[in-house]
Amino acid sequence: MRRLSVVLAVLALLLIGGGVLAQDAPTVAVITPYLAQPGTQFVVEGFQTAAEGTGWTVNVIDTAGDVAAVISRIEDVVNQGVDAIVINVDPAQVAAGLEVASAAGIPVFGMDAGSDPLLVTNVTSNGYAMAAETATYVADRIGGAGRVVMFVFDPFPPVQKRGIIADTIFANNPDIEVIDRITPDVADGGIADSRAKMEAVLAANPEPGSISAVWAAWDQPALGALQAIEAAGRQNEGIVIVGIDANPQALDAIAAGGNFEASVAQDFAGIGAATADAVARVLAGETINQRVIYVPTVLVTGANVAEFLGD
Amino acid sequence: MPTLTPLLSIQHTSKTYDGTPALVDAALDLMPGEVHALMGENGAGKSTLIKILAGVVRPDRAEIRIDGQPVSIHSPKEAYDRGLRFIHQELQIVPQVSVAENLALSQPYPRWLGVLVDWRKLHQQANRALERLGISHIDPRQSMARLSVGDRMLVKIASAFANSTQAASIYVLDEPTAALNAAESQRLFAVIRELKTQGCGILYVSHRMDEVFEICNTVTVMRDGRVISTQAIQQTSRGGLIRLMTGREVSHAYPPRTQPHGQQVVLEGHGLLNGVDFQVRAGEILGIAGLAGAGQSELLKAIMGALPATVGTLSLEGQPMTPAHPADGWEKGFAFVPQERREQGLVLSRSVRENISLPHLRRLSTSGVLLDVGRETRLADDLSKQVRLKATSNRQLTRQLSGGNQQKVVFARAMAGQPRLLLLDEPTRGVDVGARFDLYTLIRQASIDGTAILLASSDLGELLGLCDRILVLRRGRGATVVKAAGLTQHDLLALCYG
Amino acid sequence: MDAGRNLLPTRLKGNRWLRRSGTLIGFLIVVIIFTLNNPSTFLTLPNWLNISQQVSMLAVVAFAMTIVMVMGDFDLSVGSMASLAGILAALLFRAEQPLAVGILVALGAGLIGGLINGLLVSYVGITPFVATLGTLTIFSGAAFLFSGGETIFGRDIPAEFSGFARTGLPIGTVNERPLLFPAMTILALVVLGIIWLLLEQTTYGRRLYAIGGNAEAARLAGVRVRLLRLIAFMLTGLGAATAGLMYASRVASANPTQGAGLMLDAIAAVFLGMTLSEEGEPHVLGTLLGVLILGVLDNGLTQMQVDSYVREILIGGIIIGAVTSSSLSRRNR
Repeated sequence: MRRLSVVLAVLALLLIGGGVLAQDAPTVAVITPYLAQPGTQFVVEGFQTAAEGTGWTVNVIDTAGDVAAVISRIEDVVNQGVDAIVINVDPAQVAAGLEVASAAGIPVFGMDAGSDPLLVTNVTSNGYAMAAETATYVADRIGGAGRVVMFVFDPFPPVQKRGIIADTIFANNPDIEVIDRITPDVADGGIADSRAKMEAVLAANPEPGSISAVWAAWDQPALGALQAIEAAGRQNEGIVIVGIDANPQALDAIAAGGNFEASVAQDFAGIGAATADAVARVLAGETINQRVIYVPTVLVTGANVAEFLGD
Repeated sequence: MPTLTPLLSIQHTSKTYDGTPALVDAALDLMPGEVHALMGENGAGKSTLIKILAGVVRPDRAEIRIDGQPVSIHSPKEAYDRGLRFIHQELQIVPQVSVAENLALSQPYPRWLGVLVDWRKLHQQANRALERLGISHIDPRQSMARLSVGDRMLVKIASAFANSTQAASIYVLDEPTAALNAAESQRLFAVIRELKTQGCGILYVSHRMDEVFEICNTVTVMRDGRVISTQAIQQTSRGGLIRLMTGREVSHAYPPRTQPHGQQVVLEGHGLLNGVDFQVRAGEILGIAGLAGAGQSELLKAIMGALPATVGTLSLEGQPMTPAHPADGWEKGFAFVPQERREQGLVLSRSVRENISLPHLRRLSTSGVLLDVGRETRLADDLSKQVRLKATSNRQLTRQLSGGNQQKVVFARAMAGQPRLLLLDEPTRGVDVGARFDLYTLIRQASIDGTAILLASSDLGELLGLCDRILVLRRGRGATVVKAAGLTQHDLLALCYG
Repeated sequence: MDAGRNLLPTRLKGNRWLRRSGTLIGFLIVVIIFTLNNPSTFLTLPNWLNISQQVSMLAVVAFAMTIVMVMGDFDLSVGSMASLAGILAALLFRAEQPLAVGILVALGAGLIGGLINGLLVSYVGITPFVATLGTLTIFSGAAFLFSGGETIFGRDIPAEFSGFARTGLPIGTVNERPLLFPAMTILALVVLGIIWLLLEQTTYGRRLYAIGGNAEAARLAGVRVRLLRLIAFMLTGLGAATAGLMYASRVASANPTQGAGLMLDAIAAVFLGMTLSEEGEPHVLGTLLGVLILGVLDNGLTQMQVDSYVREILIGGIIIGAVTSSSLSRRNR
């Protein structure tokens, strides 16, 4: 009767989970396929911190990269009768779930998601603006001329739009040549594969000064590129590296004063908090007219990095 | 004799599996210098008794004495340490390593300085062990995987006799000659006779009457888990033993030909393998004899289309044919009973019915696609009856049948739809006496019905008893074709050697 | 003793039934627990229709996977084939090809991918693990290459295509909303019916089981093992492509990685189903139970707000537990 013990283990865990349901407070489900990524973690933590005072029951669900499962989980929590749903995924891809929620009259909020008529609102940083900040930083820093390596990730729309802005800005500088536009394998978070790809680029461009800058659509590839440059002993060629998101590792690298010069800090906790605020307003009966709520971002360089390291 | 202490004494030994008694109060004494035959149909309890001795199966109750001392055997290691040696039906070998290493498996390898294997000494030991059986054609350095089934069995037997670190006095041989040819069997018997003079005791399990009468002193017969009788071999007869084993009268003679076979040549082959020519006529049984590995199985497989590339030509009733796949053979009305029924014959995880119908599915379906289970069941029922199959129903899994009944399923499959040509490869190997004569009857009946039959066998008695003519193969070449009538086993064996 | 087993008393036959049904009983216990914890929502028709729709894509892949697993093979490339099929259809939609063209090309890719797998396994003689691991990477690379790595979504995906995943047969109303029997569920049931018929009622299926039991014996009994194996891989590829289209319809987009999660779940579902059969053979109805177990656990545990990572550990544990106990009891008989 080994099977029995398995069943008992399930039973025990279920009862622990079941206890939470007993309360009568509003229940909010937060559903994301991307919880393993640091940015998403900060956003969700920001949301949870802001929700602490409200007495809500917050149920965070991660589908580990599976977008169709997000639809399934939306259907499940609609069925369960939650009061509000927060998603952190491209709404166009989960429209089937949004329609179910909308039919049941349950409000759905985008938290760093994307805008969609079926969302009450989407709270996010302005991706276009962030990419513009770092791309112009690169263009200015190399004097509008040089050879640039880009790290992009077009399958994920919020990151894809960053790439497009950078493309435009580099294209607008006739003396800037994009020598490679790399999509790293992100299964490991993006650092290791980006490093490998960058090593290949370095090997293909051995002359000092043949690479002017690395523009990365988020921090992990920038960190991978930094590792590759340092390992190749080419850190003194003046290659400028920029990332976006200003994660702790990136902040350390900027503070160290090496090639990694700049990143953009999204206020993740702020996005989470602003989403919680939007949820609270709607639960209180208010109507929100803004389709997108932007939370401000800051360019982080050696000059101001100390302010962020304290956090 | 009775005053001597038995080497091995078994009393009051019982074992029950899942509420079904497999062994009931069994008793047996093995005296020094005795070759003691243990006979019975499959499922009679012989294997359970042997497994208890080997320490593989724990008896419910047992009184076992060795040299008069009560012992209990809990593991194969204990059995080994008490001087028991076993040769099982299923070969326990490691095919990836050399013959010499297989011979030394149950003992420490000879070492240099306690660390490095002393290969020279290992090979010398192996050579000595093989020589003792008069085996000179096997190189101890050869990989086990490259040996024929018969040669592997010889190595296995040699390994039981080889180990010198521990004195062995009791040998249990479980159908040791099943995969051996006549000459190899004779060498084994010589070793057994030598052990006998040294005062060892041998418990000898076999389905083959000739052997039992040739080398055994005493015979114990088991049936349904009980010991039925123990007699001196001189006091018994073939017929008597068969009666005891089966509990019924079974004709122990080969069923004779009652009418002459037809004259029309069904299949004709030229230049097959290394040069085999033959003709077989409707209703004729053509035997195929030869030493182990002379090409018997290959010839049958080539005819069936089961070998990747075939040389030579075949013609079926005058029309040339080139079978490229066994499916072609079955379509032409050939039926095949392969040598290894568990590896090549049956799908053990499927039922009797499905195993019988497998080559005939197209005929048992609507437009070749949708199964007609009703027709399939009727076919399986008819054939099961025809081959006298003992099974709870035709939905029983073939894994659960005894060896003889499994072989009957393979036969039933071959008999379905009255084949034009029946190819039989060692059809009675490992089959108990009762089932064996049922199979002989079936073969004879098929020949009376006009089926041309090719019968490859290492049992010379079987070849002489059933066949009209015998094709003798030597190294893949057709040596000669002889009429079976008037031939003795000795003549036939001489022809095999050439 | 072999002969003894023929005479098993009825008491033991009862035990055998219990052993075979262990997974089913476990499933019912899980259902009861969920029902007790979510009395008003879990055991309701809308929720079960909901589950049926959620598992429909996995179900189609798992049913198709059953075909090759009957022969003792498996196909690791189903997930990336599903992604590739979705990408191909979406690219053709973007190029303003008719719906039928996109769907047929995607299904054709499934057949061709399966043909490649089948040729490698059956005729070149590479083990299924290595062959389909290789094609997994090739199909995935092709999906990235064709799509340029991006997600194809929005106006590129025609409404009729994404609408399929949201329609169904009206079968009543609940809380003044129409209750639909989802089209995705109907499609999965049709695939189930076809594969059940194929495996259990045709000469083809019978031969596949024979190959799975003993390929050499099957060959010598006239089964054209290589050809049938090739066809089986093609059918599995076709099933994977079908599931890829269903997935793309449900998320109204195509992404080169979206099918990746289907492969392991499909194999798990087949294994769970195999615990139901006496000889441990895969049967498509057993696979259905395996798929339902995975789907119901996801649904019920979400409703009970069990942490999503705990959920994964539980599901893994249940698969190992069910398969272990079934193989142990098989060994102990």
